[in-house]
Amino acid sequence: MAERAGYTVTMFLIDVSPTMGETREVIVPDGPNGEERTLEMTNLEWSLQYIKLKIQEMIYNGRKTDQCGVILFGTEDTDNVINERDGGYEHVSEFIPIGQPNAGTLAKLSALQPSTEIGDPVDALIVAIETQDTYLAKKKTWTRKMILLTDGRNPVEIEDWEATAKKMNVLDISLTIVGVDFDDEEMPFEEEDKPEIKRVNEEFFHNFISKLDKGSIGNCQYALQEVSRPDVKQTKSALLGHELRIGDTETYPDEAIRLQVKASKCTALSRPKSWKRFARANPRDPDIIMRTQQDDDYGPKAIFSELTRRTEYYVDKKKDEDDEDEDMDGEKDAAAKVAADSEEVPTEAERVEKEELIRGFKYGASFVPCPDGNFNRLPTKKGIDICGFFPTENFKRDQAMGDVQYIWADPNSPANQVALSSIVKAMTEKKAMAIARWVSKDGMDPKMGVLYPIEFDSVDCFLWVQMPFADDVRKYTFASLDNLISKKGEKITNHPYIPTEEQQRAMDNFVDAMDLMDAGEKDEDGNRLPWFDTRLSYNPAIHRTKQAQFHGAVVEDLNTHPLPPPHWELLKYFEPPRRVLKRAHSALEECKQSFNVKQVPKKVVRPRKDGHVRAADDEEMLLLDQLPKPAKSSSQVARSQTLTASQSQRKSISPKSQKQKAKKAASDDSDTATEEEPDDDLPLSQKGPAVAAKVKPRDDEDVLMTPSPSVSSQIPTAVGPSQEADPGRVPGRIIGLTKPLDDFIRNTKTGDIVSKAVLDLGWAITEIVKRPFARRRTKEMLECMKKLREVAKVEDEVEAWNEFLQDLKHTCLEDEPGNQDFWTQVKKQGREMSLISKSEVKKKHGVSEDEAVEFIES
Amino acid sequence: MAPYDEWNRIDDDDDDELQDSSLFEGKRDVILFAIDCSESMLELYEDPNYEDVKTCHLLTALESAMQIAKRKVVVGPNDAVGIMLFNTTRKNDSGGQGSEIKQNNFVYQPIATINAESVKELIRLLDEAREDPDHLRHTFPPLVGHKVPMGDVFTSCNWIMRDGAPKTASKRVFLITDSDDPNAGPGKERLMTSARTTLIDLTQAGIMVEPFFISTEEKPFDQTKFYSSVLLPNNLNDDDGDPSVLPESISITRIDDLLAQMRFHEVPKRALFSVPFELSTEFVIGVKGYGLVTEQKKGSYRYFVDLGDRMEVVESRTAYVDNIEEGDVDKNTIVFGMALGETVGGEDADTSNDLSGTARTVPVNSRVFFTNDEIKSFRTMGLEPRIKLLGFKDKDDLKFEDNVKHSYFIYPDEMVYSGSKRTFSALIKSMVKKEKIGIALALLRRNSSPVFCALLPQEERAEEGGWNEPAGIHIIPLPYADDIRAAPIQEGFRASDKLKDATRKWIDKLTVKNGSYPPDSYPNPALAYHNAQLEASAFRTEFDPEEFEDLTLPKTALMHKRAGPLMKEWMTTLQQDETANTVDLPDRGKKRKAVNSATTDTEVRAMYEDGKLAKLTNDTLKEFCRSHGLAVSGKKADLVDRVTEYLDVN
Repeated sequence: MAERAGYTVTMFLIDVSPTMGETREVIVPDGPNGEERTLEMTNLEWSLQYIKLKIQEMIYNGRKTDQCGVILFGTEDTDNVINERDGGYEHVSEFIPIGQPNAGTLAKLSALQPSTEIGDPVDALIVAIETQDTYLAKKKTWTRKMILLTDGRNPVEIEDWEATAKKMNVLDISLTIVGVDFDDEEMPFEEEDKPEIKRVNEEFFHNFISKLDKGSIGNCQYALQEVSRPDVKQTKSALLGHELRIGDTETYPDEAIRLQVKASKCTALSRPKSWKRFARANPRDPDIIMRTQQDDDYGPKAIFSELTRRTEYYVDKKKDEDDEDEDMDGEKDAAAKVAADSEEVPTEAERVEKEELIRGFKYGASFVPCPDGNFNRLPTKKGIDICGFFPTENFKRDQAMGDVQYIWADPNSPANQVALSSIVKAMTEKKAMAIARWVSKDGMDPKMGVLYPIEFDSVDCFLWVQMPFADDVRKYTFASLDNLISKKGEKITNHPYIPTEEQQRAMDNFVDAMDLMDAGEKDEDGNRLPWFDTRLSYNPAIHRTKQAQFHGAVVEDLNTHPLPPPHWELLKYFEPPRRVLKRAHSALEECKQSFNVKQVPKKVVRPRKDGHVRAADDEEMLLLDQLPKPAKSSSQVARSQTLTASQSQRKSISPKSQKQKAKKAASDDSDTATEEEPDDDLPLSQKGPAVAAKVKPRDDEDVLMTPSPSVSSQIPTAVGPSQEADPGRVPGRIIGLTKPLDDFIRNTKTGDIVSKAVLDLGWAITEIVKRPFARRRTKEMLECMKKLREVAKVEDEVEAWNEFLQDLKHTCLEDEPGNQDFWTQVKKQGREMSLISKSEVKKKHGVSEDEAVEFIES
Repeated sequence: MAPYDEWNRIDDDDDDELQDSSLFEGKRDVILFAIDCSESMLELYEDPNYEDVKTCHLLTALESAMQIAKRKVVVGPNDAVGIMLFNTTRKNDSGGQGSEIKQNNFVYQPIATINAESVKELIRLLDEAREDPDHLRHTFPPLVGHKVPMGDVFTSCNWIMRDGAPKTASKRVFLITDSDDPNAGPGKERLMTSARTTLIDLTQAGIMVEPFFISTEEKPFDQTKFYSSVLLPNNLNDDDGDPSVLPESISITRIDDLLAQMRFHEVPKRALFSVPFELSTEFVIGVKGYGLVTEQKKGSYRYFVDLGDRMEVVESRTAYVDNIEEGDVDKNTIVFGMALGETVGGEDADTSNDLSGTARTVPVNSRVFFTNDEIKSFRTMGLEPRIKLLGFKDKDDLKFEDNVKHSYFIYPDEMVYSGSKRTFSALIKSMVKKEKIGIALALLRRNSSPVFCALLPQEERAEEGGWNEPAGIHIIPLPYADDIRAAPIQEGFRASDKLKDATRKWIDKLTVKNGSYPPDSYPNPALAYHNAQLEASAFRTEFDPEEFEDLTLPKTALMHKRAGPLMKEWMTTLQQDETANTVDLPDRGKKRKAVNSATTDTEVRAMYEDGKLAKLTNDTLKEFCRSHGLAVSGKKADLVDRVTEYLDVN
């Protein structure tokens, strides 16, 4: 904070002597396959990264008053102000004149190559001082900085250096010397086999720096590392004048309180700096091509141009007004969105110019013109009005809505300070907070919030945070976690949702073990501090993005120079402290065991995503006096087609013959129907070929009672059996009614969705059994049950089976219409088909053996 | 309000924000009011609010439906509502959504996007019904003697929804009835079964039924008679799939609270995110996150185009244009880099066509730009969405100032990890018992950036009005070091105990005992003012600003009544306070003469009363301006004008 941002000229002094051309191996992040990678670069190339990152920082901040110039020493020729005037100072060149840097500056630096000559760093310093001083002749207040980059391998003319140091102090120049492989105690680093000349030079540089008021010297490796350390710019927020009122200052001027206050930000969300978009220019202009190809020394080049954003407006004129349905249909929106994403304009839309547009609001579907874009605003008066006080303990911390502001008394008015302090002190004593209404400017929309009193070491103030209006709070209902009520209206106390005492104990231990209050660093007295401090937590997105932006701007090629890993400071809070993890180990094991949390297999899947193989599902076939058919699969019709189908084809033919049979169709809102194909009726052998499925429009009649399937041949869509069903189909089932056993086997094979498959097969069996004409599938159903029981036993789905079987019995015997026959068949299977008992699986699940026997016989 | 362009701009960089509002708007909500129209619903009684007016349950139900429709304009302008009545003998007109539904079900308003005409029609009906208490009975003659099987009602709802509601919308039926045993008598069992089956169909078609049962003292509503065995958990695919437990969203209510109850359900409950909650690497449960506090903003204006016969909303799209060729650029080829910085005059003169400000030239085979995926990974730090527990801290370690944005609320999701509920429940209990908060690292959406947050447990608590404060954990995003600003003021004069005690007196009078910040008492006045004008404009009625009441204004009359004299006393104490009358400011050097602002104020006011402001010195006037937040620029005449203007109103 000490110095003013900007108003600085930084001179970069770069050693390009031949020794800088020596190469080194640099470790870069692992390659795509985790292989270690190194990169060979010259010392110049490597150390230049530091300078480029520094310059990039200036570009990033974009200040006109943050400027730099580059002086090289060790160049073949000589080109500097002193040489022009007085001669001498050979092999020192002004490479980039002082100015605000941009990408071009970086490009020039990237092109630098070591020379064949040797240059003297002190000469370069003197040239830089002169150049900078000339440039700043009329800008006395500017800050002067220099950064000198060298390997210290070449002779230095050390006469008169004290005079130079003195001159630098007079001009208040700060100098940083960055040395390639300089010894550094802090790192620590010590170069092996250091040449004598370098040792002497390093000593000299240290000596030189010690004579400067503002000087530092360091190792280049260290500098490169530190340059990516997250660095928080301390921002002091501006103080904005306000009035704090208590009471009605107009009606009761002698009672109402009015204080002059200043507001400033206490927290403010900062975000990563945005990226600019680029695209490879494809110039049709031959000039541009010419130029690009001319200045290439290293092969063909491509130009990437920065893009700008343009908003275009489109209207869909064809939209018909009475076509309300279509207008309503979300699918269309989705389609439009897709189109928008891909930057393709839907064909019906027509581009309109902004000038033709009228502003207005939508009142639902109605249009309300409002050319100003705003109705009259609520008249308000600037100020902060206190509405009342309440006890702090009742403050709902989770309702605080935004960033926090300080409210200070006017720093120029002792009376206001004392007055505000008295309120803060009284509130602190009472442990109270205030409700306050905030209007930031006359006519601005009011905000509601709370004032919280704070007593700092030598000043009192308020903190303000916005609180929600009635409109901002959503009172969703959530099922109670503790009070579970059974259908009979009784309270349930023993349920898998309710933790047992043992579980609660395990959790208590876990919470104790994972305590962070003593998990941080030790303070001076050796007491451990809490771990995690907001003031030391850096936003990784901001700093990582910045690091990447800088890196991308300074390297030649990301393929060979991949982005280094994030600075450790960014990640230090990403894992709990090791101490704590160690301490919590046994508590954690106990928890894991006790709570026995299991991941539920991914459910199948909203229709639109790829998922598991869909159940073959066809209920219509049951209706017909034909053999069960193979898989016609549920077809997923392109969304837009579904739309058309369901909308345009409601009037579909419903032949009487079909209608009768349709009675048995279960309710099914499915939009798909399938064509029937004769096939053998062995369910297991069915692997129907992909069939051209057709879309069936929805029935308008009661699907439950009198479905009238009608087939439309307008939208034939060839689909394979693996295709997914339309959303209207029984949602979330992975077992269909057509070939339940097939579906089941296929799904259990994949292994991860066994529970769901067991559940769904049970459902499917019950569904099928309930239907008329179920008799013809009795054998198949018994097969299913056999398989289901087998799987349930092995896969620890005992409860699922038992529950299913009880339900099935109930369905068959007690429900209308029931299916007594089927149950009789089940009974015939005997004990083998009954409930699974504990003894069968040797687990705590299951019923007793007697119960199992009794169940099937009763 | 931000201009439309800005509001609408598609900026990937902002994607990391959870755009709550857009998520809410993303999916449309369709509500079908299914209102019982039987004898008991039409029975007249004295309106509790207005003298000499008769009302009935049906009237209140329709009124509530109208209010909800109006609210929808604000919370979801693209949402749709419809109204169906059952147990009436009124026949449906042929054609339209209602033409083929079950007998004794009548579609009063088919499902349609909220629009001024439908709302007006409903208002007209309500007005007529208030004038003539028998109007409703004539308009919708009740079915006498028996009731429609509930199965038919659900089936009708299903058809109406199917015809009128978009597929992707969330679809809900608000069932309003006062009859707890609609299908009593012989065949009840069968009718119950059919009701249950049809309800399953409804649920499978993605339609939720949210019942609002009206209970009166004379006729209490007993849900065990019929409904508890018919109703299902709301969404088979969603949480709470345990059939042995009652669904949570049955509202049994007094008729007067009907609207309030409906308001809770006004927006469908939608999760903002669903992520694993890692208590440790191998101890993971599932949670869903909700935004319980979300700023409700005014709708932004849209652009319309006049097509002659109607106004049509235009869609806006963002195109990216290349600066060299000015052509549109294919989105897939866009790459990302750093701003290139200003083009400066100091560049070499020979490159007159220097492009360094707008373009970067690179060798063809090298890559200096990042792809969209890479950029995302810089933001997410390569994390997958999750909430990762880091440990626990004392509850008071969460400071008031550790806030940057609104909180989220998480609730266990049993459907992803079985056992989530018991674990979550135990965790809340432990944390509450030990007065701890959790510290966690959270990435809430695939596209957002990681954030540290405090986990604030909340135990279940019943509140007035039948709404329970649910059990769950609030996620409070903590500020990063990057978000924290330094305090600009370090020193100030402080009050004496005497003055503090004087303050304490009036604060005590103005404190609500056991009170808290009451969001419900403060509807957003600016939003209401905007919407009132919007509505007036849509209904073509006049908006009268005089009638508008801003409920957020402090109740100053009451405040003065309670604490006025004490505040006056405090002022006197303040004026006599030595510190307050300090003249020299220690940190201000000698440059500017410090003025006692309290005296200045009195002096200026006195001169103003006498009309002699111009006699004051410029310094005094400026000091006054400064202390009242007015500008100090301009000549003396300007200052006098400014002070006069200020004192005219104050």
